[in-house]
Amino acid sequence: MSALVSDFKQNFIENARWEYLTNGLKTTLLVTVGAVLLGFILGFLVAIVRSTHDRTGRMKILNFLCKIYLTVIRGTPMVVQLMIMYFVIFGSVVFFGSVELSKYIVAILAFGINSGAYVAEIVRSGIMAVDSGQIEAGRSLGFSYRQTMRLIVLPQAFKAVLPALANEFIVLLKETSVAGYIGIVDLTKGGDIIRSQTYSAFMPLLAVAFIYLVMVMILSHLVQRLERRLAKSDRH
Amino acid sequence: MIDIKDLVMTFSGVTVLDHISETINKGEKIVIVGPSGSGKSTFLRCLNMLERPTSGQILFEGKDLTKAKEEELDKIRMKMGMVFQNFNLFPHMTVRQNITIAPKRLGLLTKEEADAKAEELLEIVGLPDKIDSYPSTLSGGQKQRIAIARALAVDPDVMLFDEPTSALDPEMVGEVLQLMKKLADDGMTMVVVTHEMSFAKEVASRVLFVADGNILEQAPPKEFFENPKNPRLKDFLSKIL
Repeated sequence: MSALVSDFKQNFIENARWEYLTNGLKTTLLVTVGAVLLGFILGFLVAIVRSTHDRTGRMKILNFLCKIYLTVIRGTPMVVQLMIMYFVIFGSVVFFGSVELSKYIVAILAFGINSGAYVAEIVRSGIMAVDSGQIEAGRSLGFSYRQTMRLIVLPQAFKAVLPALANEFIVLLKETSVAGYIGIVDLTKGGDIIRSQTYSAFMPLLAVAFIYLVMVMILSHLVQRLERRLAKSDRH
Repeated sequence: MIDIKDLVMTFSGVTVLDHISETINKGEKIVIVGPSGSGKSTFLRCLNMLERPTSGQILFEGKDLTKAKEEELDKIRMKMGMVFQNFNLFPHMTVRQNITIAPKRLGLLTKEEADAKAEELLEIVGLPDKIDSYPSTLSGGQKQRIAIARALAVDPDVMLFDEPTSALDPEMVGEVLQLMKKLADDGMTMVVVTHEMSFAKEVASRVLFVADGNILEQAPPKEFFENPKNPRLKDFLSKIL
């Protein structure tokens, strides 16, 4: 028991090492939230292009570009994309004169672009699942295709794919744990730094895992509540 | 009001509508009957360009819809209310939202005006207490009456009905037909595809028999049912009456 206590003290209390975890957590959250926003925007845009093409045959060129994007992003590992983004594409670019800030921006771009590809296919499946009679009803009332999409199709599609989108959010949160590859000290890297200083793996790594787990559980709970609210119109 | 000229519709080589020409005048109640797969619904859906005809012209209040731009078509569709076999109510919206969304979002009415209109329309279709219900809580007949109210909310000049009672349980057909009859009595121009011959007899000013992609016979209902001339129509009537 006392061995555990001293282990705990050494890993978290001494030299205020717990700050590696709290600062890392902040970074993880920042990168995740930024990437989720970017991924959702990208994903919805790509999904709208793809489903519009599938339904009406328009937007051929855009649809082709979207397909390349989906193939490349979904066909290569996230870590590789992150490193290509950092060392190749933005290898010599410094945003706003700050190397530190540049890392964050690159990470958000890389994770967001990656997530967008998965969000796109999720949302597209939701759009295609909305009955075509809904579009006809919208058009027959005098709405344009765009208005019909925005007011009638997308809200229903969003509701249908919400659990899948939430899952993507959770996957993304955990996926940011490779941000250390480009020198970002996120939660995982923070734990790893403690391990390298104390030569003790058990406490810091379990602490890191525990924090991820708690975040995922909170997110899952929030999604359930949102789903219940959206399910109002299904109640009999 | 609607002039159809030489309308042709082919789906991947199959001719569904074969050079149909017809004129629908203001105030008329046209009922279209015919065997399934004869092109009745396609004909109706061409009238507001939900289906784009292969060739021919559709003139609505003098404007050729086949040549109209998308934005113009959106405006014209507002003038042509449509009621579907499967209701197609918006499931994520309450009855009130279903009825008010078009007049509000199309800039026809303010929120207050649209709400007042919804209440007025629900009074007409006999469902004032359902204003805050979701479609999933309604019966088929109620859904279709709400769908009619929704179509009426943008003050259309003509109402198109695509088999409005075909998806209903038998005991709910009456309430929908009754409402349609009320609309007809109020002078609405109507084009109705249906299998309800009693409705055709009672309400139609003209009955059209469509088969093989053509209008094979048309007449006022009395003449249509009592003295059919086309052998296909005779055969059709003998099977259903």
